[in-house]
Amino acid sequence: MEPRVAVVGIGHAGFAPITAGLSYKELMFEAAQRAYADAQVDPRADVDSFVCCSEDYLEGTSIFDEYVPDQLGAVQRPVQTVAADGLFGVATALMLIRSGAARVVAVEAHSKVSDVLTLGAIEQFAMDPVFNRPLGVPALAVAGLDMNAFLERTGLTEEHCAMVAAKNRTNALDNPRAAYPADVRPEDVEDSAPVYWPLRELEVAGRADGCVVVVLAAEERAGDLTEAPVWLLGAGWSSGSPTLESRTWGEADFVARAAERAYAMAGIEDPGEEIDLAEVDDVYAFKELQHLEALGLGTAGGLAEMLAEGELEADGDLPVNVSGGSLGQGNLFEANGLARLLECAEQLRGEAGERQVDEAYVALVQSWRGVPTTSAAVVVLGNEEGT
Amino acid sequence: MREKVARPDEVRRWPGDFPVAHRYTPGLAGDAFLTALRDRGAILGSRCERCAYTYVPTRLFCERCFAELDAGVELGPEGTLVSFTIGFVGLEGEPLDRPVTLGLVRLDGADAVLLHHVLDPGDEPLEIGERVAVVLRAPEERTGSILDILGFAVAEAESD
Ligand SMILES: [Zn+2]
Repeated sequence: MEPRVAVVGIGHAGFAPITAGLSYKELMFEAAQRAYADAQVDPRADVDSFVCCSEDYLEGTSIFDEYVPDQLGAVQRPVQTVAADGLFGVATALMLIRSGAARVVAVEAHSKVSDVLTLGAIEQFAMDPVFNRPLGVPALAVAGLDMNAFLERTGLTEEHCAMVAAKNRTNALDNPRAAYPADVRPEDVEDSAPVYWPLRELEVAGRADGCVVVVLAAEERAGDLTEAPVWLLGAGWSSGSPTLESRTWGEADFVARAAERAYAMAGIEDPGEEIDLAEVDDVYAFKELQHLEALGLGTAGGLAEMLAEGELEADGDLPVNVSGGSLGQGNLFEANGLARLLECAEQLRGEAGERQVDEAYVALVQSWRGVPTTSAAVVVLGNEEGT
Repeated sequence: MREKVARPDEVRRWPGDFPVAHRYTPGLAGDAFLTALRDRGAILGSRCERCAYTYVPTRLFCERCFAELDAGVELGPEGTLVSFTIGFVGLEGEPLDRPVTLGLVRLDGADAVLLHHVLDPGDEPLEIGERVAVVLRAPEERTGSILDILGFAVAEAESD
């Protein structure tokens, strides 16, 4: 499909439980500075359009769109805000470039959650005000219900989920930007306190501040801007059935729909064979398994085996969340998708240091907007060898 | 390189809060559900014949085929436990004095599930697939709210 679109620059800041002293604007400035330096672009002259991904309640500001241009070099320029995960911003950038509306686009997402004193209340405020919110329970209850339904349907167990949490937190030990690296074993996870049983404390990603900025360009500009373009081979997104009463419990059907579109665009017919590594949503450990199933990367029985055989480890057949995922890097909220894209871009450029995966040509990135949503995006990336 | 703060507690912060207050309109469908619950202790759903799917609570439209629906089907009061979870923490992660149990129940006659508390599950562990029944507040105490339902209780075993 023409024109081809590449990631030509990427920068991040934060990725810490608290970024003390830096305002959200300064955090964004720091990440943007690095992304523009990486792409060797001047935002005031070379970036045609800017896309930010944020949610007013998390920011503590109404109409947050008005608070993003200056720190990105986007004052008096085309800027739009997408109230969704950063991967939806990448999809928007893809459309801007493919349509010819822009040749170079910067996409930004961040979390300054350490400034939020009532996160539980904000998440609960996302539940239906008439039928769900009066029950007075946190949105986390939705994760507990979904996990139990998932385990019941698939026959996967609490032990499998604990293995995921241990794998990702341990993977984070090799990731210098991870906020929550830990040498934990599955037994430690299973011994941790239940929060919304069967979901346990060590299976919930801790909150983190951070920002990621990605610069994307049409092929004609990409060659000038980078020697190692990471091509955006496909993108897809979908809603599920958001209403708690009529949604598909225990299954991420919306992820499957998003993946179907991304695979079709990327020409991927057998994801298990064609994808070399994946960074998928693991804000709750069981979600990694649920998402891998929806992405067509394993069946319930197959995933149990893959976990047991170490195939999802950094040196396995299908490395998943080598970065440490959200469990290891921290929950960056709307920036989770871009944090996963950052990892895949580094892997495909061969710049992932100690956690570099061998023969990484095609990578899959998936995001989910968290409880109580059913909203997901999927992006497929490839380096020169992967296209 | 910018200086990193070593003592987060010494960082200057400016407090801000925002009083948020709304009144939500349940709509025609929601009103039919809440009125039937208050006045008759009945749980109403909406059936889409084309999709062969029964929603609960009532809906004015089908999310699957976009047809307009009416609020005509009475559901339950018994049903099947589709999932449950036991909560040990409150809204901001604070430990609870007593755990809470929530269940998703597919009421007899419904395809959608209803979310509510599971009352006094007792010492017997709950099981998915178990039969439960809706427990209502006393008629004189009902106000037309989802809380007119107290929750679900494990159904008494049927005697032959
Ligand atoms: Zn229908």
